[in-house]
Amino acid sequence: MINLVLFTVLGLGLFGSFILIALRDSPRSLPDTSAIHAVGQIINLEGSSFANARRLFDDTDYQVLCSNPDLRRLAERLRHDRKQLALTWLSLLQNDLLTLWRFRRFLIQRGVPSSLGEELRTVQALVLSLLLLQFIRVSIHTAGPFALPRATRQAGQLVDSMSKGAALVLGRIPVAGWAEIERSWVSSAA
Amino acid sequence: MVMSLVIWIAALTLATGTLVLFLRRALWRTYPFLLAYVIWLIIGNSALLIGFRFFNSVYTSLYWHSDTVDVVLRFLVVWEVFHQTFPKGSGLNRSLSKGLGIAAFLLLVFACATFWGYQNYTNLRSIHMALDRSFDFVQAVMILGTLLMARYYGVLFGRNVRGIALAFGGWVSISTVNSAMVDLTNSFLPYWYYLRPLSFLVMMVAWIWALWVYEPNPPILESGATELNQWTEDWNRTVSAARTIIRP
Repeated sequence: MINLVLFTVLGLGLFGSFILIALRDSPRSLPDTSAIHAVGQIINLEGSSFANARRLFDDTDYQVLCSNPDLRRLAERLRHDRKQLALTWLSLLQNDLLTLWRFRRFLIQRGVPSSLGEELRTVQALVLSLLLLQFIRVSIHTAGPFALPRATRQAGQLVDSMSKGAALVLGRIPVAGWAEIERSWVSSAA
Repeated sequence: MVMSLVIWIAALTLATGTLVLFLRRALWRTYPFLLAYVIWLIIGNSALLIGFRFFNSVYTSLYWHSDTVDVVLRFLVVWEVFHQTFPKGSGLNRSLSKGLGIAAFLLLVFACATFWGYQNYTNLRSIHMALDRSFDFVQAVMILGTLLMARYYGVLFGRNVRGIALAFGGWVSISTVNSAMVDLTNSFLPYWYYLRPLSFLVMMVAWIWALWVYEPNPPILESGATELNQWTEDWNRTVSAARTIIRP
């Protein structure tokens, strides 16, 4: 009796584990690292190459300055400068996203295989990313650069995932053809 | 009666569909053990269908005997998943195969021990239920273990093996619960008649989906001997430095 109950419970546990794995590790085709590197070389991603985004939204300096009444004005200036920098960075990220999307379209236009479902998912991801960037931009305008530090810092990941999508498509053509793709891309962008 | 017949025909059609996929996409070269199991499914299900329709007197015995063969042959699927995830000759296979072999042996001993329990022999059905639940459970644990080990070591799955492993794991887990519940309460018997074959159909559909596109596991990238030697040297240096700091 006990072993039957145990088998029932353990079997349910195992089934739950398989469902969990199926849902959590949903298969996303991962691009080759060389393709990711190649996309980075072909496209100049100004926003995502900015390494100090974390520091940009860190309010420690601002808090330190605010704690001293004599430095309040300096604190406000720092806040204003950070706000401008954050907005510029967000604009660059937005440009990066659009450039990656154009690059992906360029690859598919040149005959790299893709499916309609994949394209729709890409457009969906792009629209959501742009909306999120707009939301962050509005929040920075209204509440300052330190209001949503975590969300803002993670904005760079939007470009990373878009970049992986482009690398995945690029990876579908032989490495030997990448140089030609780069030349065509540069000439089409000029 | 009609429902059982429909399930049987659907199972046979799906198994044949899987076989056609194997042949058309030349998947049999990559997944030979899985192919062997699919062929068995076609043969076994055809025999059962014929028995069900024309030889009712031998049907029950035929069902349980084919179920026993099926329990054993399911290890082909487990082996295929393991063998595809940790291919022979890979560093991970060399490092893990001995330990995992012992774990698999212990699991088999566990399955045999639970099957051998005398309380299972009250009637014919319980023997097969015990066989089913013991080995289903062990097979589910083996598949889950392989998936978790692969995840731990960052081994990537292709659509084919992932779909096969998850669908098979889900099915044998349901089967474990199913065969335990039937022995636990007889009122579950009507559900058992449909739950197991229906979950089998779901597994077959998932297999067809997984094999529709040829996407094997990406190869495991391994470092060269020079790189590994360098890494070992660096590691040993770090360990000795740490020891010096701890015990100056």
